[in-house]
Amino acid sequence: MSGAAATTVPALRCAACDVLDPGPRELCPACLRPALAPVELPGEGRLVAWTMIRRAPTRFRAEAPYAVCVVDLEAGVRVTGRLAGATDAQGPGTAVRAVARGEGYSVFEGIPA
Amino acid sequence: MRDVSVLGIGSTAFGRHAGTPIEALAATAAAQALEDAGVERRELGALYLGNFVSGPLNGQEVLAGMVADRLGLPNIPCTKVEGACASGGIAFRHAMLAIASGQCDAALVVGAETMTHASNAEVTAALNCAMDNRSDGASGLTFPGLFGMAWRLHAARYGTTRRQVSAVVRKNKANGLRNPLAQMGAELTDEVIEQSQMICDPLQLYDCCPVSDGAAALVLVARDRAKGSGRPAVDVLASAQTRGAARIAGHADLCSFEATVSAARRAYEMAGIAPGDVDLVELHDCFSIAEVVDSEDLGLIPRGQGAAWAAEGRTAVGGDIPINPSGGLLAKGHPVGATGVSQIYEAVLQLRGQHPNQVKDAEIALTHNLGGTGVVCTVSVLRRGDAA
Repeated sequence: MSGAAATTVPALRCAACDVLDPGPRELCPACLRPALAPVELPGEGRLVAWTMIRRAPTRFRAEAPYAVCVVDLEAGVRVTGRLAGATDAQGPGTAVRAVARGEGYSVFEGIPA
Repeated sequence: MRDVSVLGIGSTAFGRHAGTPIEALAATAAAQALEDAGVERRELGALYLGNFVSGPLNGQEVLAGMVADRLGLPNIPCTKVEGACASGGIAFRHAMLAIASGQCDAALVVGAETMTHASNAEVTAALNCAMDNRSDGASGLTFPGLFGMAWRLHAARYGTTRRQVSAVVRKNKANGLRNPLAQMGAELTDEVIEQSQMICDPLQLYDCCPVSDGAAALVLVARDRAKGSGRPAVDVLASAQTRGAARIAGHADLCSFEATVSAARRAYEMAGIAPGDVDLVELHDCFSIAEVVDSEDLGLIPRGQGAAWAAEGRTAVGGDIPINPSGGLLAKGHPVGATGVSQIYEAVLQLRGQHPNQVKDAEIALTHNLGGTGVVCTVSVLRRGDAA
């Protein structure tokens, strides 16, 4: 997995009040205006936590086991995604970056020290 | 607002009720509660029913009216409420409010769910209706996954060990052995727990509550009505309901649920008590680590020490703060919509001094019911009727 090219993470920014949101969402949660526009954020962030899903919902069964994670992006948004090449050594605060995109989620991996 | 008491309780066993329709389970529990209360059907002014997944799993909705029909209730408002795993707690609170506000003098609360007839995939898909499926659901996250992450974070931050969390499992399973309504009581060793199948690292099989069928019911009355009844009443001191983030990424901390913290704060304030006044707790241990997080969120145990307290026996019956003497969701079972009502059933038995796993001299009990990924929570406080 390591060596994959870094990529961005899709999110939403309110054109009216500048608030960032991971989306999907229709109205800005801060000002309630329908002014959220897609934005691509830098994919670097820190791992909050991850786990390995071994019993997956039906639509993801063929992909199991897979690791799901929560990441705090440096851009200031918290997102739920997948973690490639997860290891027990990757605790909270581990530096990660987005390397791919699935349907409705980003795939992250650890940044080698 | 008027004072409210719980006068009658009823419950089916939790477990497998193959072939019994959900409305029949609900009516059985409700009839028990009415008889226990000595309240006539014509006295009831409202029915609130908690249910979560009867639509997807049974193809059956309008349960409140159906159960009222089975019970031959008068022409009263019958309302189903839904808040995922907290549906039962919400139903209780709304019945309490109907009486407190003077809308009626007596109300019936029912919680019911049937799940064991469905395949694992169907159950997982139905339970996943409780998450924001456009965001969290898209990643392939599951509820065990959410609590697997909470565990990893708790372990990294506070040094919580597998063996300490196993103490929660052993305690609740052992408590369940003494509860005739419990689905999965057991005397387990650390080795058996720790060699069980991995579900969502580090959550293993015995860390997860079972899939269950069951129903529970309560009859609530204005306290004045309870006084003349000659029956053992339990007073409702508080019932708080809050909301939390609908998305996992919306939680400020994955080791804490804001909905629980705020509901507990409001309930303690309403009841005029402090966490230290609580004699026993029935809380939402859908997973072993959930009991740890909940007990800290409720202010019962210092932050980070929930698992250590369990390992030291401080949350056992006879300990500093007995948690889930019923066996909790882990051992009693988790027929989702019934759980919040069942927790109050168990608490009332304790406050009457009639519980098979009795906490000595119990006077004040707290119940905690959490729904979805922390999107809704109810916390209620009950007091023995003669203890004021």
